[in-house]
Amino acid sequence: MKVANLAEWKPYEPTESRPWDLRLVHHLHRRAGFGANWGELQRDIDAGPQDAVSRILTVANLTKSFGDAGIGGEPKALTNSATDFDSLQQLIGDAAVSSGDINRLKAWWFYRMLYCGDPLTERMTLMWHNHFATSNLKVANVAMMKRQNDLMRQHALGKFGDLLRAVIKDAAMMVWLDANANRKGKPNENLARELMELFTLGVGHYSETDVKEVARALTGWTVRGGDFEHVMAYHDGGTKQILGEQGSFDGDDVLDILLKQEPLARRIAMRLCEAFFGEAVITDDALDELAGGLRDHDLDIGWAVETILRSETFFSDTNIGNRVHDPIQFMIGPLRALEMLDPPPSTLLLAEWASKLGQDLFYPPNVFGWPGGRSWLTTRTMIGRANYVSALCRGELHRPNHPPDIEALAIKQGCSTPADQSKLASTLLLGHENAPGDIEAILRRPASQLG
Amino acid sequence: MKTNRRRFLDQSSTVVLGAMTSLVSRAVVADDRSLPGQNGKILVVIQMSGGNDGINTIVPYADEGYAKHRKKLRLSTDRLLKIDESVGFHPSMRSAADLLEQGKLGIVQGVGYPNPSRSHDTSMAIWHSAQVGGEETLRSHGWLGKAMDTTREAVIGGGAKDPDMILVGDESPPLAIQSRRSTAVTLSSLSDLRLRRPAVAQPTIQNDQTPNSSLARFVDQTMQNAITTASVLEQNIEDRIDGSAKFPSTRLGQRMQTISTMVKSGFQTPIYYAIHSGYDTHAAQLPSHARLLREFSDAVKAFMDDVEAAGISDRICVMGFSEFGRRVTENGSEGTDHGTAGPVFLAGSQVRSGLIGSTPKLSDLVDGDLQMTTDFRNMYQEVAQKWLGTALKLPVPRQSLPISLFDA
Repeated sequence: MKVANLAEWKPYEPTESRPWDLRLVHHLHRRAGFGANWGELQRDIDAGPQDAVSRILTVANLTKSFGDAGIGGEPKALTNSATDFDSLQQLIGDAAVSSGDINRLKAWWFYRMLYCGDPLTERMTLMWHNHFATSNLKVANVAMMKRQNDLMRQHALGKFGDLLRAVIKDAAMMVWLDANANRKGKPNENLARELMELFTLGVGHYSETDVKEVARALTGWTVRGGDFEHVMAYHDGGTKQILGEQGSFDGDDVLDILLKQEPLARRIAMRLCEAFFGEAVITDDALDELAGGLRDHDLDIGWAVETILRSETFFSDTNIGNRVHDPIQFMIGPLRALEMLDPPPSTLLLAEWASKLGQDLFYPPNVFGWPGGRSWLTTRTMIGRANYVSALCRGELHRPNHPPDIEALAIKQGCSTPADQSKLASTLLLGHENAPGDIEAILRRPASQLG
Repeated sequence: MKTNRRRFLDQSSTVVLGAMTSLVSRAVVADDRSLPGQNGKILVVIQMSGGNDGINTIVPYADEGYAKHRKKLRLSTDRLLKIDESVGFHPSMRSAADLLEQGKLGIVQGVGYPNPSRSHDTSMAIWHSAQVGGEETLRSHGWLGKAMDTTREAVIGGGAKDPDMILVGDESPPLAIQSRRSTAVTLSSLSDLRLRRPAVAQPTIQNDQTPNSSLARFVDQTMQNAITTASVLEQNIEDRIDGSAKFPSTRLGQRMQTISTMVKSGFQTPIYYAIHSGYDTHAAQLPSHARLLREFSDAVKAFMDDVEAAGISDRICVMGFSEFGRRVTENGSEGTDHGTAGPVFLAGSQVRSGLIGSTPKLSDLVDGDLQMTTDFRNMYQEVAQKWLGTALKLPVPRQSLPISLFDA
């Protein structure tokens, strides 16, 4: 365990008053991934918190090392089915790119989120998609959107510096933030501003002059033939003043300067806390301490995620059930819990539903990404969620129809009476036991929106 | 049978809503709840895509140039619906003429911008963003998006849950409603807002584990609220089947009906957007243009009638615009090519009815094109300020004349 002794981030250890039980395991799987089935929950109850969290992180690390080796995709060491998964997802992804149909790329990502053995990395990729919010509405290029997505996945739990350099210096971001229009003598400040305001420092940590000067430094970065390129003829080689430093900086220098700034770590820490904690759980002190830790660990995202997932705060009562499920989590959770993956649901349909529920993959609403939290829930999306539950319970996400069979699941676990079955469904879906009724009734409760 | 069903809905919503008077009032038709700073005003934009031939829409029949430039496409004077001694509506615009007679239609004449682009894409982007310039000009956000961003800044924490802007249709959201921080959504139909299962009383959060959490209460309330809205929508849809308001069965007519239903159901969305395509009439223009103008006029009229009947017409303004007009001289294939200025329509009971601005002269052309008489940015500024209650910082065009679009 590489977690340092941070006062605010004490690791959770089971006690008599806070035992390691189904509620906590359920919470871990919903927040660090997209939910788990009964067998996985039981396995992790038996394993204890240390091993359960380690398992999630180890799988993610395996993925990362395979990714770094250029193989991409899933750890082959896991199981045979992981290898199958990897070749299948590649097939689906390549087909999406050559079709030029963005809906097929959305379906590909759904396939990954449903079937990969490493949900944490997919969850983090989704988080970075929101941080570096890029919309295909303007990029209008499936291959570029997929490449950006792959980059985010590859660096999802690595060093933030590597992630930033990879994503910023890639065609999708260049097109999204008008890098093509940023030329020597005719600067376009779009990329410069968002780079500082959204991707690294946050408002208040740079001046308008910095924006102008960074825009000058970024001239020359452009897209040619679908790829990033640094065109020297477009670059303004003059002297710039950026965040107190002076030099004839170019884009790479700008990224180096930004990565050294103190406010950066806090912004990343805040993003991670948004992803893993509910409302008003994290104190300023805890945030500062996590930011400090990130600085000490060379902005290692994996370190911060491990610190979070092992912490007492993560497993605290104030955190459990105190976060609005994003649409993807809301959709995938029951599919995984109720073991509705074989035969597979229609991933194209799922992508359509996600859009109805307000989370259209590859189409974040603007540079801020999806605002998340309570704003997921509007009149339109609430009705959409209720209707999604109806569709799921009638098996309409599958073609042909394939409704969930709670009775079969329950009998496998030795529950034979209707009351026991209802109890099982409730604990499986909500992590606690007191929601009566059938699956549809349980999933239409307000509590099913939270986790 | 229908009556019974409606009565059932009435009763069931009463059961669900018993304890929540404020939610009932929110969903009731003609409720005056509103967002701060927006006065509950609603702007419905209809984009007439393709470049509407303004000359054959608001026809300058008394202008000598009309007969001279329009040989085959000339509409005979006696068929026109006269507005005054010099201009008249295209004969298919009976509904628009009726609106004018009722004092609910403003026609802003000769609207355009300097050095107009004849490219659909560029010109539409100029209208969407209010950033005048060539293709290379940066346009990240739309004018409506910016207006909503400004409003949003003013009401931070206002708790508006419905989106700021809704595109009703299956097209991609246009640049006009893109913004940095506001929300825009697309609805292809009302079925997106209808509960598939009858709204039986939902269990409330009190039965769950976290009775005192404000988040849990929020979720509970939002859910009840959504169910109420779904029920009210259901009722509005039933009413409409009963024929209280007739909408044309055209695509635009259906979209306007969708918007009307949402507005009547108490949605707090201030901006709705619909696209009416097909105005790119390079050949055999007469029949298709006649159909388009009829569809447009009938849909707007039906919409105005519907909101009037619901008693909320003073909160409504409809704006119809196109990215450019057509050339004055017709081409050789009984059509017209891309031109410049054209009329913009504003409908609403608060709109200053009648002709606004001066009629462009067909004898005073630049390279065969009309000269604009009103810069569209002046119009936007006024719509934003007077209607949406939002200051829109646009570069003020040179020689711009103040216009007045709304009743004082």
